[in-house]
This record gives sequence, C-alpha cells and structure tokens, in this order.
Amino acid sequence: MEFEDLRAKVLEVADSAIKYAKDSGVPSAEAFVFNQKINNVSDNNGKIDSRLGMVQGLGIRVAVGKQVGFASCTGFELESIKQAINQAHSVAKVSLANPMFNGFVADTKTAKEGFLDPEILNLNPEELTNYLDKINQEINRDDKRIISTSIGVRIRWGGYAVGTTEGCLSSSLTTAFTAFCSSVVAETGERKTGDDFVVGRKIIDLDGIGRNAVKKAMDGLGAKKFEGTEILSSVWETRPVSSFLGVALGFLFSGSSYVEKSNPWGEKLNQQVAVEDFNAIDDGQNPEYIRTASIDTEGTPRGKTVTIEKGILKSFLFDRMYGKAADKATTGNANRGFGGPAFESTPVIMPNTIIIKNIGKNIDEQIAEIDKGILIRSEPIGLFTANQATGDFSVTCNHGFLIERGEIVYPLKSFGLAGNYFKTFNDIQQIGSDREITGDMLQSPSITFKNHTISG
Amino acid sequence: MENEYIYDLLHKAVKEGENKGADFIEARFDDLQLTTINMTNDILKQSSSMHRKGIGVMAYYQGTPGYSFTPELNTKAVKEATYNAVGLAKSTDSRNKMKLSFERTKGIKDKVKPLIKKHPKDFEFNDKLELIKRGIAAIKENANVTSTTGVYGELYGEKFFVNSDDTEIYWVPVLVDMRMMAVIMREGQQAMSVEGFGASKGLEFFEEKETTPEKVGGNSGKYCKEQLDAVASPTGKTKTLVSPQMGGVVVHESFGHLSEADFVITGQSPIADRLGGELGSEHVTIIDEGISPYGGLYFPYDDQGVKTGRSVLVEKGILRGYLHNRGTAHKMNAETTGNARAINFMFNPICRMKNTYFEKGDLTHEEAVEKVKNGVYAIDMSGGQVQMDGNFMFNCNRGYLIENGEITKPIKNTALSGNILDLLKHVQGATKKVTLKTGYFGGCGKGDQFPLPVGFGGPEVIMDQVLIGGAK
Repeated sequence: MEFEDLRAKVLEVADSAIKYAKDSGVPSAEAFVFNQKINNVSDNNGKIDSRLGMVQGLGIRVAVGKQVGFASCTGFELESIKQAINQAHSVAKVSLANPMFNGFVADTKTAKEGFLDPEILNLNPEELTNYLDKINQEINRDDKRIISTSIGVRIRWGGYAVGTTEGCLSSSLTTAFTAFCSSVVAETGERKTGDDFVVGRKIIDLDGIGRNAVKKAMDGLGAKKFEGTEILSSVWETRPVSSFLGVALGFLFSGSSYVEKSNPWGEKLNQQVAVEDFNAIDDGQNPEYIRTASIDTEGTPRGKTVTIEKGILKSFLFDRMYGKAADKATTGNANRGFGGPAFESTPVIMPNTIIIKNIGKNIDEQIAEIDKGILIRSEPIGLFTANQATGDFSVTCNHGFLIERGEIVYPLKSFGLAGNYFKTFNDIQQIGSDREITGDMLQSPSITFKNHTISG
Repeated sequence: MENEYIYDLLHKAVKEGENKGADFIEARFDDLQLTTINMTNDILKQSSSMHRKGIGVMAYYQGTPGYSFTPELNTKAVKEATYNAVGLAKSTDSRNKMKLSFERTKGIKDKVKPLIKKHPKDFEFNDKLELIKRGIAAIKENANVTSTTGVYGELYGEKFFVNSDDTEIYWVPVLVDMRMMAVIMREGQQAMSVEGFGASKGLEFFEEKETTPEKVGGNSGKYCKEQLDAVASPTGKTKTLVSPQMGGVVVHESFGHLSEADFVITGQSPIADRLGGELGSEHVTIIDEGISPYGGLYFPYDDQGVKTGRSVLVEKGILRGYLHNRGTAHKMNAETTGNARAINFMFNPICRMKNTYFEKGDLTHEEAVEKVKNGVYAIDMSGGQVQMDGNFMFNCNRGYLIENGEITKPIKNTALSGNILDLLKHVQGATKKVTLKTGYFGGCGKGDQFPLPVGFGGPEVIMDQVLIGGAK
C-alpha cells in the first residue's frame, strides 16, 4: 500500500458519494470519508492481546436550506452509502432550520500535510511485538515490588477526504505510532502506579519508557500524609500541567461557547487573561504534531492561530459556522471523532495542538526556588469537574511530593489541591524551558503556580 | 439483512479459522442503528443517524487470542478478517505467558428480544423531536432559564453470534434515552441541572409517570432554579446518603472495574488476591446481572455467547467473585459470568459490567435520612474520575443538606472523593427500594470502547466518611 493509493481511495469514495447525492436531488451535501488501518498489540503482565483491521466509514451532512441532517455508515459498500445519504436527506427535510448554518466548503484549498512515515505502513504484527520486548527488557522482573505492568504498541495509518456538492474535494493523510507502559508496584501494603508513553507521526525510539514507568511508581513509595491545609506554590511537570491547562483552555478557546455566550472569557478579547510570560498558539501546521493536517474535517485548510500573546487573549478558535456567526474567519479547527470513529460525528470546534511557549528555567531550577511547595508528577483526578462558570476546581493528587528549601523531601499520600482557573493564569510564578513534542492536545513546559490550596 | 446469509458468513469464518489452525473461533455480526437529536436554545444543533454494521472474528490459538474485523459483508472480506485474526493469534503466541484457553461446551441455539411496545424504528423523526420540545417547554414552565438543551438518543439493532461450539445466538438490543439540561446565569452566578436517563424499552418509556418529557423537563427547571439558593456543602469527611444514581455510578466506576477478571489475573486490581476476604461492612452486597427485575439494561448474552446471569461480587461485605470472560473463568476455576463485551464489531470483547448495583437493604427512605442525621444527600453527578487503586472523585451537581434527620437546603456543586475500598467499610445501610437505569448518553469507557451502555443504580445507600468538597 502506498500513500497515494490511500489518498486516491478516500477521494474516490467522497466523489462517488457526492455524485450520488447530486443525482438523487440532494440540494447540498458534504461527505466525510474516513479510512484508517489499526494494529494494536498489548502485553498485560504476560497476557498478550492483538487487534488488526480497517476502520472505514462515511459521514454525510445534507442541507436543505438551513435545515441540516447527518447520517453515517460503516464501510464503503455503495448500498450503505446510498442509505446514509437518503437518511441524512430525509432528516434534513423535516429538521428545524439552524439560522447559523452557512453552507459547506466550496473550494479545494489545502495547507501543509504533516509528516508521513512510510515505515509504519509496512510494520507487521510480529514487528510490533518486538517493540513490546524492547519496553519489557527495561523492567527488572527480579524486583518483587513490581506487581504488574501493562505495555502496548499501536500503529495507525490512513486518512480522510471531504467532498461537497459545492466543489470541495480534498484529503489529508496521517501516520501515528503510540507506545505506553504502566506499572503497579507495592511495598508493605502501599501500592503505587506509574506510567510513561510516546505518541508521534513516525516510529519513535522507545528507550526509557519501561524504566520511567516503573521509576515513577517506585518514587511514590514511602508516602507521608500532608498535614493540615496551606496555600502553597505548586510545580507541575510537563505532562500533568499539559492536561491541567488543556482541560481549561480547550473550553476557554472555544469559538462555539463564545458565540453561545457561555464562555467565561467571552468578554475578554484583547484583555489580559494571564501573566505576561504566557503565550499560547494553536498550531495545526507543525509537520511533527499528531493532529496536523492539510485540511480540517470540513475541508478548510488547517492553520496556526495565536490565542494568547503576552498574556492577552487574541483569538478564539472557530469552524466555518461559528466563525461566520462571530463575524470572524474559520481558524480550521473543525474536528470530529470524540468517543467514536471520526465519520460518526459532525464537526465540533476543538484545538489542533496548543503550544505554550518555553520561557525560563528548567524544572530543577524552579524547584530550587521554592521554600515550601508541592511537586505534581502525574495528572490529578477530577480535572474535568471544574466549574466552567466560576473557574473553581478541586482535584485529588495521588502523585505529589513535598518541596522544602528548594529540595524534594518525600512523596505525599493523596491530597487535595484547589484553586480557580481564571485566577491561576495570573498566578503563574514561572514558565519552564522544557516543553517537548508529545502527542498531547496541549503541550506545555513545566509551570510553577502560586496560591494553590493544599490539604491532606 | 437476511439472517441465513449472515449465519452463513459467520459459519464460514468459524470453518476457515479452524482450517487455518485456530483451536476456537468466535464470529459475530453487529447491526446497530443509533440516533441522536440535540436541541439547544431552540436550535436543532444535531440530528444524527449512525449505522454500524460489520463482522468481528476472534481466533484462539493455544489460549492466545487475535482479533480482526471487517465492515464488508462478503465472503472474501470475512475470510481475510478470519485469516488476520488467526495470524495474530499464532504470531503472538510464543510471547504469551498468560494463556487463557477454555473448555468447549455444548452449543446454544437461541433467539431473544425484549418486549418492546413502541419500537423507535416505527416512529418518525418528528415524533422524537416532539418529545424534546415537550421537555423543553416543561423546563421553561418551571424556571426562567438562560439556556436549555434537550437531547434524545436511541440505539437498536440485531446481534448474531456463532462459535466453534456450534452456538447460534440472535438477540435484539434496544434502548431509548432523553435528557433535559437547564442553565441559569444571573449576577455572576451559574446554576445548572441535568435530568433524565434511559431504559431498554421503546418509546412507551416516555409515557411512564416518572419519565414523561413533562416530568423530566419540569424537574430540570425546578432543580436548576433551586440551585440559585444553594448553600455551600459541608467539607471534610461527611456521612452521606447517596441516591440510586450516585451510588450506581460509584459502585460501577470505583468498585466494578476492580472486579473485572482481566484486571484481576494480571494483578492490576488491588482486590486480585482477596477472594473470600472481608472488603466491606455487613451492609455491602454488590450484584452484577444481565437482565434484572429492577430494570436497567437488557443484556441476555455477552459477546462470547455466554448467557448472562446474576453474579454476586460481594456478599455481606465478603468478596465472592469476579466478572469473567470464558478464559479468565477457566483460568481461575470459576463459573462463567457473561461479562465479555465489545462496543461494536470493530472491537474485541473485554471483561465489562452489565447491570451493577448495591443490593437492597431494609430501610425506608425516611429511616435512611433519619439515620444519617446530619450530613449530605447526594443525588446526581456530572463527571468524575477513578483510578485502579480505588481512588475516585465525582462531581455532585445535585444534593441537599441533611440536618437533624431532615432534608433541608440544596447544596452547591461539590466534589465527592475517597477510596472505594475504605468506603465500603463505612457503608451503614441501604433502602428497600431498588431502581436501575441505563443510558444512551455516557456509559462505560474501558479500553477505548466508549460509550458502552451499562445498567446502574441500586437502593439509596448510607456511606460514612465520604470526603466532600476536597480542598477548600
């Protein structure tokens, strides 16, 4: 299989779907065609599971004026596609008008494609198990504290095409490689977990993944209770702070919540929302990032949007419909596929890859400046429970450490960490210099925040 | 799709797989139709119809599994999927240190479907839109709201299953669901409520007294409005009466996953070696079953063709069992429990829950409130997170204070957290009445297979030492 064969396949299906729609008297339609090969192999403490197959399907939006219907089907069998088009058409005819709807993409403009790794296309299941072995070899099985490990390698390759009755016929391809390891360790009744993973568009060197996962878990052993409640600085490693900020900014950058007047930053455009050192860009064009594509999932070229510059909110993220409703251009942020295959959902606004700019000190230097504080080494639980209106959040940290006089002194048992998202962007004490390319939707260097309430 | 054609394709998969050297083959065909309608602020935001149709083949070679699938319903594609599955099983077998083979059994021939009076496929789009409109009208009649959202979801279809035991099973999944959401924003304050749930029933579900659109929408408006006057919840470890909804989610997310046998045999679960041991108080009995007299999800056979029954996970505080697929049951010398489930044909079955709940107690609602005396009545939640060590955190979006044995004021959104293995020791009783629910919206998300409908609920349960509010 070659990349151009893949591209030809999705374009051909999109084109024939649109031709059928036109022949059937559909006034306006958009076909989203998705074709992705998956191959997963995992080793759960010696138990091997594997899955191989092609996820294929089509999602079709039909518009009758401003009345829109959507249907999807799995596979590319003509009868299934025809049924989906007819279903979307019949729903559109009886649907209510959406006054914001402004039609489908009418041209074939594209942006840059992300990096495609031809080696991923040729990996077979046996070769994937060799990667499992590589991760496994880093784990010292003689250490009786290791209760279990879970290791996996996944590859994806494929692409999608968007065709419209208005004239769009564009496609984008991707390759992806993921590897992960999680471990459970126990000592004298205390149980800790640790994990590490990599995600990229090409085959990645797996050195350190097994070792890091076990080390993270081991480092948590011997945890002591945090006594009392104190307002302290917290230093967050890159991964947990990326999750922390991703939850908040995924919503705060949303152009749909801005239009619908439910975005707490809705009145803050061109105002200071964060410290001056805080800069955020949504980048759908870096060839290394996993979500980079030549078009978004409604056929608009993906782009690069400055969202926060020197702490000032510069832009929200839009798709075609919400961009028009806000009197702005689309930023190429129409995405699909949350909780299922991409072809089963209509486009929603989501970030491509939000990049927080590196600024100052590495994490060790940040820790060295803390008299008393907390180090957060993994994603707390409860990030999604933040109150979106007030910004109040209260999470539980199961992998934190006490910092005293610039040094990590011991791991802590589960503790609560509370604050307010809106305030916390202005309470950033240090932004680190250590951001790396990962597969995360938001990629941040380590960050130190002031004024988080810590309670044991 | 003609049944004979499908059975023929599935039998071909079994035969081809065995000819290629597999010890055992399971082949299944899922044909599922899903519909979602979302009306937000009187705009029809989504009207989607999804059709998932395809064949999945699981091959076992010396106890090592391999899974492949195809959306194409022809002999060539099914053969290719079968060869892929067998190829995966064989090529990974030498590395597999935990082989989960199982004994062949006598094949089953069965066709089952739930009793549906008003099947959603027999009704028009506008009939369903009308249900949403009635619900939204009821919200507005009960509160002066800033925004409203009404969502309707339905899932129905057919499932065919064939395996090397010569089993042939056909069954009909179905469920309908409707939720009503209201938001009030006033003077910097935001109040929000979500009401509604689903059932393995037809549209007759929305004619039942407690689940008419008027009732669901009316409650949503009422509960949203009362949030404006909500008081801060107490913080710290608090005696809490959890509703069937809240208790159901807690027992599913925090305990149920720990009892899934794939996590148990790999040592990932902290209750892996505690069978027969005391986990909770005498008031804790936890059940998982496929078809329950209390309602919930209709789930007669799992995706390995095992008839589902009633599994007692915890009995009066003692751990009695785990949730198995055929391989883990054989490995652990246990009975099969029918817990191998896959969200659709693109995924292999994994150990997952069916209808999971605390068994009933002997209290009335009034006695339970009286027993709490001073604490919190936690009714509904939105979002949460759990970890494999039993730690959990859920956002309680509807709750009340209990003061001097009476339910008094509504409380603001708050977090409920703790560790389930600690918490089970502090269960102090449950009510006599059990209610089970299911849902199209949300569901279980294990192994990237989200959202799989499950049944949840139970009685109201008194739990002491629940950490309310987290850090403040």
